[in-house]
Amino acid sequence: MTCRDAIDILADYVDGAMPAELAAELERHLAGCEPCRAYLATYRKTGMLGAIAGRVDMPAEMQTRLRRFLSEQLRRA
Amino acid sequence: MGDGEALEALMSRYASRIYRLAYGITRSAPDAEEVVQDVFLQIVNKGAGFEGRAALGSWIYRITTNVSLNKRRGKRRELETPLDELLPTFLPDGHRAGDRAFVVADWSSTPDRELLAGESRRLLEAAIDRLPAHYRAVLVLRDVEELSNEEVAEIVGDTVAAVKTRLHRARMALREQLTRDLRTGA
Ligand SMILES: [Zn+2]
Repeated sequence: MTCRDAIDILADYVDGAMPAELAAELERHLAGCEPCRAYLATYRKTGMLGAIAGRVDMPAEMQTRLRRFLSEQLRRA
Repeated sequence: MGDGEALEALMSRYASRIYRLAYGITRSAPDAEEVVQDVFLQIVNKGAGFEGRAALGSWIYRITTNVSLNKRRGKRRELETPLDELLPTFLPDGHRAGDRAFVVADWSSTPDRELLAGESRRLLEAAIDRLPAHYRAVLVLRDVEELSNEEVAEIVGDTVAAVKTRLHRARMALREQLTRDLRTGA
């Protein structure tokens, strides 16, 4: 397995959607390749950071405006 | 149940999800607010008979994605970086093509609270801003909303294989930007 092969399949590996045999082959490559280990670690971390950054809440004043907007719409309907 | 109550139920169930996805794609609070209003109008116009329908969740995700992507069209395009510049490149034999193309600094042991605050946080948000919007859509649906590849494919109207490729490229591009930024001393 080359580095390119390894990087290509990281998404399935991280998402736990990889056949055990292929995962074992990838892990053998990772054991002997420090740059790919670093790549995997930062790739995984990036996914976590993106998920945390994406968990935004709708501001309270926006909820109030939405509620007002919708009751007006309903009254008009 | 009256209209008001039904609407209140829909709001408490879906408003924050719609906003999160709309903001994730448009990356603008005013745009996301317009998307939320637009999507709720479409829900109201569809009328009763919605409640409890299993497909409502995925219908809402689909409408929200489409409206958000339309809003993005032609807007803030100049912020987006061509993805290819951020993907690793390899020699024909599969080995890495040089240092520049494959930044390998391992910053993954930096604590989350440090990465999610101050200048690092600003760099993270800017890196997300620079992704093309349809990549962000897949990223949010998979990594924030935690939907499956199959569900996301249905929502964005693409194949599962295309969704997986887009997700992987989005994560790689984000990783590359963070690695470059964090290495140059954030
Ligand atoms: Zn390698």
